[in-house]
Amino acid sequence: MLEITTGKMTLRLSPPVMGASGAFGFAGEYGKLIDLSTLGALVTNPISLRARRAATGARVVPLDSGVLIHTGLPNGGIYKMHRQYAAKWRASPIPVIVHLIGTPEDLAECAAFLDQQAEIAAIELGINDALTAREVRAMVARVRAQTQLPLLAKLPLYQAVNLAAAAADGGANALVIAAPPRGTARDPLSGQLVGGRVYGPWLKPLAVRIVGQLAPRLSIPIIGCGGIHHPDDARDFFEAGARAVQLDSVVWARPEMVIAIAKAFSGGELTRAAGALADEWRPLGEPAERRTTLIPAPPPPHVPSPPEI
Amino acid sequence: MHQRQAVIERIRRVSAGVQRLELAVEPPQRALSGGQFFLARTTATYDPYLREAWLPVALNDKTIVVERPTRYQYLPNQVVDLLGPLGKPFPLRNSARALLLIAYEAAPSIFLLMLQSALARNSAATLVLIGQAQQYPLEALPSALEVIRAEHYETWAERAQHIAWADQIFAVAPPPYDLPAYMRLLEDAQRVRHAVSAELLYGIFQPPMPCGIGACQACLVRLQNGDEVPACTEGMAFDLTRVNLLQSLADSAGA
Repeated sequence: MLEITTGKMTLRLSPPVMGASGAFGFAGEYGKLIDLSTLGALVTNPISLRARRAATGARVVPLDSGVLIHTGLPNGGIYKMHRQYAAKWRASPIPVIVHLIGTPEDLAECAAFLDQQAEIAAIELGINDALTAREVRAMVARVRAQTQLPLLAKLPLYQAVNLAAAAADGGANALVIAAPPRGTARDPLSGQLVGGRVYGPWLKPLAVRIVGQLAPRLSIPIIGCGGIHHPDDARDFFEAGARAVQLDSVVWARPEMVIAIAKAFSGGELTRAAGALADEWRPLGEPAERRTTLIPAPPPPHVPSPPEI
Repeated sequence: MHQRQAVIERIRRVSAGVQRLELAVEPPQRALSGGQFFLARTTATYDPYLREAWLPVALNDKTIVVERPTRYQYLPNQVVDLLGPLGKPFPLRNSARALLLIAYEAAPSIFLLMLQSALARNSAATLVLIGQAQQYPLEALPSALEVIRAEHYETWAERAQHIAWADQIFAVAPPPYDLPAYMRLLEDAQRVRHAVSAELLYGIFQPPMPCGIGACQACLVRLQNGDEVPACTEGMAFDLTRVNLLQSLADSAGA
């Protein structure tokens, strides 16, 4: 369990496993499929001050063992989204953390509004890749001044090392490391190059390395995020120094693994006992095999080419 | 919606390009209607990473039949992880006696389950296969179906008459051809019928759907009222008079 306490309230993450922004929807859409109460918290999809439209053109590009997604972060703006989802957030069995995006001015206004809403447990700031450390410090401090809610800062993967101290100095209560990195890939349907966020299991070693670099240097908790698809993946983040983890695209690929990962850390040890072999450490009935029991099939071509007749 | 494992009981090659898989599934997943679909995972690895959309074409007592291209290889007794059924059933009107179905550069598989119920109540149905859709094996289609083949949309003979007499029209085209194809069809319908009423003309939107549950927002369709709704939960068929085709087309051109 991870507790993050600020002047106003305590965010208790039990288990220390959360649904990440961008993957689980705005208000527990996955509740129709999996028991979200097994998670420690749910972070909403990104919300901005004003409404944003969905991206145009191709939005999904399949990759080898991953996917590139460019949604445009569509949302109706903070006030409309709050009207639309407040009842669901209030009824949520787990803490709801609102992920905010925008300019420092926008973020400050959103934070001041959310500070008055009892159903919001914390705020997560999406830190833009292009910001400098000075700008990040100022931005976080500006938001911090508007709210007493626990404040998480989600850092871009490749700038996390440079920006972490600035976010902490600005007043973040925890850092999420890291947001999915940006990439560019060719859409097989339209033939166009598409830029977007990249997801997949291969992100884990990159993020774990950065968590390991930063954890000893920071006094605030780190929440690991990126490529977690199995309890062992989460365990690697914890061993590297993370105090909690966020799950993202695994919920699209293998929703059942979200429950397996959450249960693996529901009151059990957070790291493997020293000297224990991998097959000796399977708490709480998590899957015995690293992967599933599906019968492997000959690998089909992974990119369908239109049209399919 | 459920996540369940199914077993491939039988694989039948319908043509050089089309095969049908008979899946043994649990009862909740057999409760589906035409237009609904599954997201399937066939491998234990994460390559491919995303699930594939599988379209049921027939329902049997204990199995469902899905259609897949033959370039994908499957094995009898292979276990498949299914998410679904997803999406909304096609809004087939009880009063629709004459159906017009248009497959534009896409297999007409998505219509087949709906056709089962439509033909069972003696509706007349015409299927227009345009472009590469012509390669679809005719023997896989119900015999009661009238089939028209055209190399291009423009060479579809008697297009105006077909559009004029239809009680309901469903069209399928793959992205990125979907928006221009549906725009042209809507314009034709407006010209031929003078006014296109609601619930007459539907376009099927099949963008890649990572989650299938409306959470990832990768498959949003823009409506005339300004809303953007996920095709995976609110589609895949959308009333084209409700879709903001003009703006979507303009945005796509500028993307």
